[in-house]
Amino acid sequence: MSFVPGQPVTAVVQRIEIQKLRQGNNLILGFSIGGGIDQDPGQNPFSEDKTDKGIYVTRITSGGPADVAGLMMGDKIMQVNGWDMTMVTHDKARKRLTKKNEDVVRLLVTRKSLEEAVKHSMGGYPRP
Amino acid sequence: MNNSKNQRDSDIQKKIDHEIRMRDGACKLLAACSQRDQALEAAKSLQTCSTRIMAYMSELQRMKEAQVMQKVTRRSSDAGPMDDRLPCKGKVAISDLRIPLMWKDTEYFKNKGELHRCAVFCLLQLGGEIFDTDMVIVDRTLTDICFDNTIVFSEASPGFELRVELYSCCSEDDYSAGSTPRKLASKLSSSLGRSAGKKLRAAMEPGPCSPVSNGGAAPLLLPVPSVPGPKYHLLAHTTLSLSHVQDSFRTHDLTISGNEECSYWLPLYGSMCCRLAAQPHCMTQQMMSGCLKVKQCGGDPQTWTKVYAVLKGTSLFCYHRQEDVEANIEPAFTIGINKETRIRASEKDPHSKVQNICISNQYGGEAVTHTLTTDSREDTHSWMEAFWQHFYDMSQWKQCCDDLMKIELPSPRKPAPVTPKQGSLYHEMVIESSDDLSSTVSDILARRMQELELRSQLGTSPTWMSVFEENNAKCAGRTRHCTSRLSGHSPCTPHRLPRSPASPHRCPQLGLLSSDASLTSDSDSHCSTSPCSHHHGWPEPSSNFSLLSSSPSRLRPRTLSLDAKLSTLRGRGYGGGGAFQCPCQPPPSSLLAPLPISSRSPRTQHSTQTTLSCSSSTSSNSSSNSEGSHSPESSEGVPFSRPSPARRSLRNLRARLDPRTWLQSQV
Repeated sequence: MSFVPGQPVTAVVQRIEIQKLRQGNNLILGFSIGGGIDQDPGQNPFSEDKTDKGIYVTRITSGGPADVAGLMMGDKIMQVNGWDMTMVTHDKARKRLTKKNEDVVRLLVTRKSLEEAVKHSMGGYPRP
Repeated sequence: MNNSKNQRDSDIQKKIDHEIRMRDGACKLLAACSQRDQALEAAKSLQTCSTRIMAYMSELQRMKEAQVMQKVTRRSSDAGPMDDRLPCKGKVAISDLRIPLMWKDTEYFKNKGELHRCAVFCLLQLGGEIFDTDMVIVDRTLTDICFDNTIVFSEASPGFELRVELYSCCSEDDYSAGSTPRKLASKLSSSLGRSAGKKLRAAMEPGPCSPVSNGGAAPLLLPVPSVPGPKYHLLAHTTLSLSHVQDSFRTHDLTISGNEECSYWLPLYGSMCCRLAAQPHCMTQQMMSGCLKVKQCGGDPQTWTKVYAVLKGTSLFCYHRQEDVEANIEPAFTIGINKETRIRASEKDPHSKVQNICISNQYGGEAVTHTLTTDSREDTHSWMEAFWQHFYDMSQWKQCCDDLMKIELPSPRKPAPVTPKQGSLYHEMVIESSDDLSSTVSDILARRMQELELRSQLGTSPTWMSVFEENNAKCAGRTRHCTSRLSGHSPCTPHRLPRSPASPHRCPQLGLLSSDASLTSDSDSHCSTSPCSHHHGWPEPSSNFSLLSSSPSRLRPRTLSLDAKLSTLRGRGYGGGGAFQCPCQPPPSSLLAPLPISSRSPRTQHSTQTTLSCSSSTSSNSSSNSEGSHSPESSEGVPFSRPSPARRSLRNLRARLDPRTWLQSQV
């Protein structure tokens, strides 16, 4: 998703609520993230725009909390519990997701298929 | 009309003056510089400036001629209004120039003969714009001449002619040649310069009557006016036009001038690869915008939708409101405008007396027609005009209008990350985004201290290192064993024997000791019994001291000074290793009995071992004494037993800072 610096970003997002799972002393969510403003965006296999430094979901543990909640690999995380994730460092993103005093994380994620779906439903192309 | 012409004239005049000044500067630089590279660069800029001057002057000339012609035509006939459409201009970019070379295999592989080096660069001219690439030194180790620059020409018409010229200059012989040829060369150049100068002076005189011979077709090489130094010669040239434009790399033929005898010769393969892309303005800019009412024929409701339409590229974007355009919101819908679109004006609507515009497209076999209407006749007319212009542009720019070609702007896109390799505290600090800055600083300082100390430790006494490591490993192992010993388990003992011969140091000593004390034979039994005996006298300290003294007794008999050093090291490691930090000093007599290594405490060999143990006791004493002083360094004991945590965290930090990574974290 390309963006113009300084301009607000619009995207079609899906709300995903993940209940953290307690494993011993840790609260896990069951997925891996990649990206961040301090990372090399060209190596992101999921982004359309190779200058996109957003946070992307790179792996989902099947059966884990994220999988159950409907998170998919390749999703771009826009917000976590109201905090923006489009302009954060990798470490900051990880910290926002792994706060020990939070049991639930509410994510806003976007993916290509969502955009397509909305575009089609809005009548971009005439239908027979 | 006259004003704009005068404006253009003065613009060009200013440019000429600027270039002349640049050229003078380059001449001075050339005369003044001593290094070969500088001379080559200066000669290159000289070449470019000269070419630019020629181009500007010919442009000036053409304009003056056009002026004269116009006056003439006006006098003769009343020319009607010109109805010719002018196609829109566009950006043309050439990038990734690569010219393959064809060295003889003997030259290339066997590296025979002297290394013939040439400096080459390319001059690119389109219309009135001339750009040069960076200079590249070429010798027979290169297979291609590559120019990394991207050159963008901003105002190009579809009928453009991009002239590419390759200039080269031999990069050596000037120095190898003696003084005489140089004088000759300078004489020649100056004489040429004079005649060329005359031409220039004539050309610079204002007035349309003195024609300038160098038009666009002849080679743009201007003999350098009287400046000694490297001179560039035209090696090859080619002309590219719209038919060569493509969104990918293509190979073009080069016309080579010069032959093998020339000093500036390079064996060119005869072709050139490059990427020539064009972005006509009709694809990148809004050609027309305004409010319209759109109705889709055959669509659901036969009502008019009010939209703000923008004509750009191959589509007519229809937004709900004008503000959406700036806000980058997706348009409500898009009507394709491409070569297959048919646009016509329909009959006048009886109600509004305004003509409608019908746009028909084929979407996958189906014809879809949209009808547009505006509020006034003038609007309709201007929209029709815009559409016709758009179609004309597309027909002129041909393949460039199928899809927008990407042109990378030549601005350097190097990110400036924090490089941890610099090693200064400032750079490390930027990484941590924790809120508590003071803790960050102290963390980093602590880490760096550890790292420095580790490094210094490694540096100081490498020979002692191995000893220390072994001691520590042994100590660590021993601590384990000792604990088990104290607790009364005997099975630990058999481990010791196989462990002890592990180190090369210890084998001989063990042998020595065993010979004296016949340890090996008795080891097991002694081992088993030793805890008991040790327990009586001194529980903890004994094990302590056995540990401490074990090392020196294992090693060959050393002098006391060496022992002292060893003990300090041990003391340090010991403090870190662990469990036994007791600094108590048991009476020397008690030390005699438990002979370390093992518990092979030979009751029999007390005498022989007393000497050793004495030394060990002193060392142990000193070590215990010094333990306090060495405690601050106790942390270093730990790093030696396993890879330093300080190093690991630093490595992690470096990995995170490396701009070439794309880290993934599990959450």
